Amino acid sequence: MAAATPAALARGVEPGQGVAGALAVAPSLQLRERDPALEAATLAEFAVWAAQFTPCVSIDPPDALVLETSGSLRLFGGVTGLVRRIRAGLLPLGLDAAIAAAPTPLAARWLARTHSGRQIRAAAEWWRKLDDLPVELLGDGAEVSRTTLDLLHGIGARRIGDVARLPRDGLARRQASVVLDTLARARGERPDPRLWFLPPERFESRLVLPTSLLHTEPLLFAAGRLFSGLSAWLAARHAGLDRCRLHLEHEDRPDTVLEIVTGAPGRDDGRLLMLAREHLAALKLPAPVEALRLFADNPVVTPGRTQDLFGDPDSARDAAALLLDRLRARLGREAVRTVHPVSEHRPERAWCRADPGRPAPRSTPAAAGPRPLWLMNEPRALESIRSLTLLRGPERIESGWWDGADMRRDYYIARAPDAALWWVFEQLDPPGGWYVHGFFG
Amino acid sequence: MSALAQTALAALPPGLVWQADRLAQPVEAGIATGFAALDAQLPGGGWPRNALIELLSDSPGIGEIGLLLPVLHTLPADRWIVWVAPPHLPYAPALAAAGMPLERLLLLEPDSHAEILWAVRQALASGGSSAVLAWLARADTAALRRLQLAAETSATPLFLFRPASAARQPSPAVLRLRLAARDGELAVDILKRRGPGLAAPLRLSLPQRPGLRRTPALNDALVRPDPVRPAAAGIHARRR
Repeated sequence: MAAATPAALARGVEPGQGVAGALAVAPSLQLRERDPALEAATLAEFAVWAAQFTPCVSIDPPDALVLETSGSLRLFGGVTGLVRRIRAGLLPLGLDAAIAAAPTPLAARWLARTHSGRQIRAAAEWWRKLDDLPVELLGDGAEVSRTTLDLLHGIGARRIGDVARLPRDGLARRQASVVLDTLARARGERPDPRLWFLPPERFESRLVLPTSLLHTEPLLFAAGRLFSGLSAWLAARHAGLDRCRLHLEHEDRPDTVLEIVTGAPGRDDGRLLMLAREHLAALKLPAPVEALRLFADNPVVTPGRTQDLFGDPDSARDAAALLLDRLRARLGREAVRTVHPVSEHRPERAWCRADPGRPAPRSTPAAAGPRPLWLMNEPRALESIRSLTLLRGPERIESGWWDGADMRRDYYIARAPDAALWWVFEQLDPPGGWYVHGFFG
Repeated sequence: MSALAQTALAALPPGLVWQADRLAQPVEAGIATGFAALDAQLPGGGWPRNALIELLSDSPGIGEIGLLLPVLHTLPADRWIVWVAPPHLPYAPALAAAGMPLERLLLLEPDSHAEILWAVRQALASGGSSAVLAWLARADTAALRRLQLAAETSATPLFLFRPASAARQPSPAVLRLRLAARDGELAVDILKRRGPGLAAPLRLSLPQRPGLRRTPALNDALVRPDPVRPAAAGIHARRR
């Protein structure tokens, strides 16, 4: 048994027990096999996440992370503040951690194992505080073997302090020099170099859902975890990104892929999640979702932003960019546009759709006559113009014989019976027929 | 009302109490409409900054956009001017000629009525737009109330264009105007405002309307114009 739920513990199941013994105590026990690969992957994911607090993160297998925080303590408000932030950040990831702080990695590891939440500050003879820890810890995170531990136990050493008091040459003679070495590393008398963890070049994270889901809200809840991991990866790389891909895996169908695009590079997971929500709301899932996968690459290095005393001057621009992203995510890119004038005589071609925010071309020559503020998609045929009063015109528009969309029309401004102003034309080629083409709104 | 009550009322800070027989004086001045005659009749001297404004009219082409063009120039430059579900295509050459900043125009064409309401609420709530223009064929009072609340909390004016028949429906809008064209001018009837009713509709002359002072009726003697230039002949033979 590696671990047990509180309910199982209450029945008398103990970590370290054999499976048969545990089943004898609690026959209704549900056993889950341990998955070392998943544990390693979670630890790596957590290492990426922890890189937002310090660049020096080291994975300490099988189950620990070492953060060298001396450079970041001031920023995060001391060890207590840092621990509080780590705990708060782990909560949405669904992880729990035993955290302790000490001047050496090994001492911190031992403390976390036995006294989670304790801190030892660097002071003269701080290592005396390690003396009370049980001697078994020497085998944790160090290469002290089981036999050596049994030997120490046999000669009556129960605490680390007891071991430290043993004669050194005697220990060395019993092939226990590794014990001395471990002690020296834990006390900081010997260097304990660590290999710092490097966040991967591209982000890929997969989350298997406990049950298959068809509803948006629980899917988003699960996706939130992936996005906060992505945000931490970006923070570790001091980067932002403007697109990522969320795959929704189904049982026996190809994945549904959501392409999430933002207007400007950023690393705010809340924003990405909000865009994912709009995509999901507009989407009809073909089958229940079994797992989620999030991919991202090509992060853009973005400078950090300093806080402004008088509010954020960019907030209006940010809000505008966010609005554009949201509308595009829900309505589709085609439904969110602006219009630009085009230098062309034919009214139907004198405009084009454009991406919002692009400045309109400046050098469009003014049209020969007044143009209406509304244009109809298709000119509407008029049975007669008897009820209309022609006020101004004609303006002959004759163009386009070279590209097949030939036109010859006489445009007039007309007053409708309700005094509205219409833009009407008479078709000259072929002759006959009056049409209304726009309104002077 | 007794003189004592009058003085007590006068001593209250402005904007706290509105006496229904005079024009309300909101704490925040409105956005000038660009028409002095209209400003004089609106509480705050212009369009309210944080409210649902209903513009009721039946047919396009009476100058409904011309009424808003002056205010669209004066809005802050870092946010969108959002048009949701306009009935026809806003024609870019005319908008550009009228000075509308097209790079700030956000033209939304949602598929369904629900998405129109959603888009309007988003545009208001985001704080990323300086004004929202929306065209709604139908809307129940609950939806209108939600829009009014969204406009109020986000301090963004929402100009809602509705058919004239909606005048009979009660509405939470703080300002309701009925628009009609009269002799080349725009007649604005204030159906609802924080103030007494208006005796007669206002007449506004819109500067962007094509010159209509002289109105020669061309129908009687419809003169066919001569072609501007003779049809190209020779190399580029015209299709007939």
